[in-house]
Amino acid sequence: MSMIKKLLDLDQRIIYLFLFLLLAFPILHPVILPMAVQDYSRQAFEFADSIPEGSIVLIEGGIAAATYPQCGPGMVANIYHMLTKGVKIVCFSIGAEQQVWTQKAIDTALKKLPPGVPAENGVNWVNLGYIPGGESAVAAFANDIRSVVSKDYFGTPIDEIPLMKDVNDATAFAAVFWWGGSEGSIPYGIRQFYGPFGIPISGSCTTNEVPNYSPYISAGQLKGLFGGVRGSAEYEYLLRLPGPALGQAMATNFGGLYWLTLVILGNIFYFLQRRGES
Amino acid sequence: MMDQMLLGLIVGSAVSIGAYSVLIGDNPISKITENLYMGILGGYILATNWDFINKNAFTRIQGGQYIYVLAIILSLMLFTRLKREWIWVSRYPVALTVGVGLGLAMRATVITDFLGQIKATILPLNSINNLIMLIGTVTTTAYFLFTREYKGTYKYINQTGRLFLLVAFGVAYGQTVSFRYELVIGRLVDMLRPEVAMYTYAFIFIVAIVLAIGYLTKKITWYS
Repeated sequence: MSMIKKLLDLDQRIIYLFLFLLLAFPILHPVILPMAVQDYSRQAFEFADSIPEGSIVLIEGGIAAATYPQCGPGMVANIYHMLTKGVKIVCFSIGAEQQVWTQKAIDTALKKLPPGVPAENGVNWVNLGYIPGGESAVAAFANDIRSVVSKDYFGTPIDEIPLMKDVNDATAFAAVFWWGGSEGSIPYGIRQFYGPFGIPISGSCTTNEVPNYSPYISAGQLKGLFGGVRGSAEYEYLLRLPGPALGQAMATNFGGLYWLTLVILGNIFYFLQRRGES
Repeated sequence: MMDQMLLGLIVGSAVSIGAYSVLIGDNPISKITENLYMGILGGYILATNWDFINKNAFTRIQGGQYIYVLAIILSLMLFTRLKREWIWVSRYPVALTVGVGLGLAMRATVITDFLGQIKATILPLNSINNLIMLIGTVTTTAYFLFTREYKGTYKYINQTGRLFLLVAFGVAYGQTVSFRYELVIGRLVDMLRPEVAMYTYAFIFIVAIVLAIGYLTKKITWYS
């Protein structure tokens, strides 16, 4: 019994050390385990794929430094997907840090584009940068873009951008993609774009937020959802665009298995200890 | 000269290792990295917001849209919180912001978060998923009826609702654990890049030496 007690009282630093080694292993030596595409990701992909050529879509880039490795590859895939389909993109962010990562995602997607795909700044895509004010700003943006934005991320006046010529409010967009990261802002998009204007919306968030948004998918208010690194990996897989997310998803699987093993062992040892005491 | 991107990755690696050293115990290295992060982020957010005000308020005022002077005045009124006797002045812009925010959110909340969600649970009972959805929604809502005595049929409804709640919390917990892994993995991917890995190992070694000296000389407390 003393052995079980020792294991139950194991120093958490040892648990962290093993976790660190286990997460690092698949990154240093990539291992690919079989992976099934989740329904939410498939729905989101099919929604994105159904957008007709020539449309304009709105992308909210809510990914920050911490969440870029998990959601960033998916956003890159989304921008790549839209541009290769001939769909024009208008990006904005409701976080100060996030605007930089949005531009990074655009730049990464542009580098991956096959030759000949039109991707000119101001014509095929535009990054309107940071808009402070949370949901109030999103509502103002949806009703009158020019009331909250006068220049884009690079300082170009909005009226000098060809893509923005006829884009004045939410009705100009065929769809909204809300890459919310962990900012918890997907409901802003649903409330301010889908609710009043009926603009279909799909999203992406970090893994921990997926349960929060499931009811919106069941209600049809959200057309699909890419959750965390797995969602990003699935977008890359469905788009046949190999990227960094797949390897990371495998490392997450290793971590998940480790945690599950600890939970099961912890419960077994706990009951064994209780039986021993009684 | 070192590539800017590589330099960023190396600095990022050092800062991440410093921040993760808090797992061993509270120590000066983790404190330095925490404060460094907060300082840089605070400065960046200040600069970005100033840039936004400059682009969207001052430029417009210069262009003759004087209504934006009001926005600047309201923003400045927020700073009266710094002096106790003037705090009341700051309540006006706060009230305006909260009022507008709530009003705009409520306008759509009724449709999306209330009516939309109720509509989504009125489903034909032709599949097991729909049945689970209906039972889960009804019993979980019933769990929060505190005015009814906990006995008879209601007792079983209540217990079923609790079961659904526990499953939901379990899912949320599992997803949160996964999210934390993804955060670590995201950092590890950059830290273990072939061109950065040697620096990462060197930083781990340096931090380990510093912490070991700190613990041995009892200048840092080892928690148990």
